[in-house]
Amino acid sequence: MPDPNQPPGFSRRSFMKTVGVSATVTTLSGLAEAHALAREQAEGEALQGPGPVKMKFTVNGKASEVSVEPSTTLAEVLRYSLGLTGTKIICDRGACGGCSVIIDGKLLNACMTLAFDVAGAKITTVEGLAQGGKLDPVQESFLRHDALQCGYCTPGFIVATRSFLNDVPKPTLDQIKKALGGNICRCGTYTNIFNATLEASGQAPIMDQKGVS
Amino acid sequence: MASDTAVSIPTNMPTTNRPMNLGQSMDDNTSRLDGVAKITGAAKYSSDMILPNSLFARFVRCPFGAASLESVDDADAKKIDGVIEIDIQPKECQYDGQPVGHVAANSPMLVDRAIKALNLKWKKLPVKTQITDTVKEEIAKGDVKDADVTFAAVYSTPVQTHSSLETHGGVVDHHGDKATVYASTQGTSSVRDGIGEPLGLKASDFEVICEYVGGGFGSKLGGPGKELTLAAKLSQKFKRPAYVMCNRADEHLDTGNRPSSMTSVQIGLKKDGSVVGGEILTYGGTGVGKGGGGVSIPSGRYNFQNVNKKHTDVSFNGGGPRPFRAPGHPQAAFAEELMLDEAAALIGMDPFTFKRKLVKDDVYREMMDMGAKLIGWSDRKETGTQKSAMRTGYGIGTGGWGSANPGGNAEVVIHQDGSVESRTGTQDIGTGQRTTMGICTADSIGIPLSFVTVQIGRSTLPPGPGSGGSVTSPTTAPTMMAAAAQAKGKLLDVLAKGSGGDANEFSVKDGVVLRKGEKFLAWKDACAKLTPDGVTGSASTGDGGKGNSQGVQFIKVVVDCETGIVHPKHVIAIQSCGRVICRKTAESQIIGGVIQGISYAMFENKILDRNNGAMVNPNLEWYKILGPNDMPHIEPVLWWHGQTGVKSLGEPPNIPTAAALACAVYNAIGAPIRHLPMTPDKVLKALEGAAS
Repeated sequence: MPDPNQPPGFSRRSFMKTVGVSATVTTLSGLAEAHALAREQAEGEALQGPGPVKMKFTVNGKASEVSVEPSTTLAEVLRYSLGLTGTKIICDRGACGGCSVIIDGKLLNACMTLAFDVAGAKITTVEGLAQGGKLDPVQESFLRHDALQCGYCTPGFIVATRSFLNDVPKPTLDQIKKALGGNICRCGTYTNIFNATLEASGQAPIMDQKGVS
Repeated sequence: MASDTAVSIPTNMPTTNRPMNLGQSMDDNTSRLDGVAKITGAAKYSSDMILPNSLFARFVRCPFGAASLESVDDADAKKIDGVIEIDIQPKECQYDGQPVGHVAANSPMLVDRAIKALNLKWKKLPVKTQITDTVKEEIAKGDVKDADVTFAAVYSTPVQTHSSLETHGGVVDHHGDKATVYASTQGTSSVRDGIGEPLGLKASDFEVICEYVGGGFGSKLGGPGKELTLAAKLSQKFKRPAYVMCNRADEHLDTGNRPSSMTSVQIGLKKDGSVVGGEILTYGGTGVGKGGGGVSIPSGRYNFQNVNKKHTDVSFNGGGPRPFRAPGHPQAAFAEELMLDEAAALIGMDPFTFKRKLVKDDVYREMMDMGAKLIGWSDRKETGTQKSAMRTGYGIGTGGWGSANPGGNAEVVIHQDGSVESRTGTQDIGTGQRTTMGICTADSIGIPLSFVTVQIGRSTLPPGPGSGGSVTSPTTAPTMMAAAAQAKGKLLDVLAKGSGGDANEFSVKDGVVLRKGEKFLAWKDACAKLTPDGVTGSASTGDGGKGNSQGVQFIKVVVDCETGIVHPKHVIAIQSCGRVICRKTAESQIIGGVIQGISYAMFENKILDRNNGAMVNPNLEWYKILGPNDMPHIEPVLWWHGQTGVKSLGEPPNIPTAAALACAVYNAIGAPIRHLPMTPDKVLKALEGAAS
């Protein structure tokens, strides 16, 4: 499995490294030399942008090629270029989890991820969870426990829950609360999300009292 | 809608973890009808309508509480390839976020880039940012001469923003002589009423569509708003689809809020726990809004005898208010319930006994008795007696709501192939309206819900009410039931005529048509006797029935007195709402109301910089909303005692929560926190005050 921090192609990290070095060199021996060094630092790859540049990745099992500016986030590419609008842009700065996607097995906020940083990666969005006309168990439990109201945070919660259960198949309630702590729901469905997550991991939901005489 | 996706799943999905509510609704087991679309990402909200060749626009806004825009230099922004239009007019602004113009471009990213490239020269002006910039805290007086004890205090609540996760706005696709409007709204009909003029079209020539709404909580009522109005104008002008949605900061600044409040009380009490009178002065911080700052105290739920009330709206340099889930109520309940707990302590009474005695309606007393047992009130320690670092507290809050009459318009069509359509032009903002309309139709006819397709969220359907005032269900449910009953009657007439019998001999149960109680025809076979046009029932009113919306909530809290952090542990939320249609969505409304209430009590605060009036937290990390890790266990209890009418449920459960939590914290630490939100600094300060 490729490391999402070291994807093939242009990365933000190598860009930063390049800029850092070239800034030092510029003062010593001029721009042309700096650029030459920068190209070398980038391991033979040409600097790309700022205009649209082609890149490839796999989304929900399908190879996709898009042409985007390097400043474009993955969330923007998914929504505006690929029409995968299940991924929501809500806070647009990593505070709400509405854009949660799974990238090479790891949960990330697509609004905080430059599309270029995931070139070549395997990406799963909420649209990719139901397979062959069958819902993912997480989705089915969300439905059963009414773990959604307006539904706008729901894709993010479902993707985050799926990713969490991949890592921790039988979590405790406290683990669930902490693991989903990066997601926000404004309608207030957390109680049902906890129950859905417990059920999706083969555990009993939290029982309310039977009543009092 | 489920039909949007390839995935099909039964909606009949029983759960058993809330035994108290089982068997108390028209439908215990149905999962919401648009659930599959929402959990698979297939649901297209208005903000998801990214149409080919769209142009995108946002407003350019004043960055200060009061400032005059002196000059506009948009040369750099105009140079950006893909920027279509920049229109900014110098003017004087009165709040952070006030629009001065807009930028339109070929992508939302280009819009952001162009707005950043603008060079606007602002001249800052003096600002007022809160109620106390205008009004001095004053202690209420009132007639308390017959009292044994008098109690006086000042309470305040901050500005709370709706923070709908889908922001305000929508998409307009103008085709010249026709247009389609995709609105994120709580009022499909009200958008229809206001969008014709900016579209330059007659009402007959456009359709407003609102299939899904990503939250509203009151802020998306009242017409198309400035965002859709701009989209309409741009789409008409450029002959392209126009997408105008607020970003997160815009949403905090300029799409309404729950106004701040200040409540000054003085009440006089007898030792026996009766209130003899007093005075209540309230102030609503309405920003630049005109009115809307009312604070509903006294609530009328308690017997206060002669209490004078005076309210004043106070302006400052902030965005104006809009209705927000029980406008005026949570802030009032906070002041009222905490005042009562403090007064109870003065006369040495348990607040449960005190409130139980003072409350007017017996239903509240019954709810209090039940809630006290469920929360374990008998474990409560007297206020101010705990010395440990972690202190446990218990609090009670109450809430009440009026009712609405049946109305709106609904149609039910029974087709020749046996399919049934339930049609009304309301919208589902997350309440479960789509689902309840289906259940009402299926139940009235006597068929399984799977036979019914619900059509809502279009201006071309029979007009329905806006989703405000918690009236949608009480208004539309009886009407939909009446329309369904009429359609069924027409079907039975056809069957009676065809078989030479009397229509009264026929009935429908579980999807089977019966004659004199015996199976006559399967549903499909019965419908096959109809003409290809089917039969249509329509109604504009129905049977309101009996019932009401009252609630009592109990909260157990643990306060960490070393850090000042409040940990709500357990909430019992007892709520009546008349006849429950769909158990799961009803429980969700209660849970959601409680969560928003706790969030309001503990975290939310729109903070304006006192020097320049700019909002310092226009995002979702510093404007904190309660998250999963802050959650208590919440038990929603549907209080249904043979009620027959469908009543309000959206707003009522949001009323008692902040109040109950404040009372619980007071009980735990022995000092009241009179100013929301109850952040750790205030808890520690209150503890310091209590110790000295």
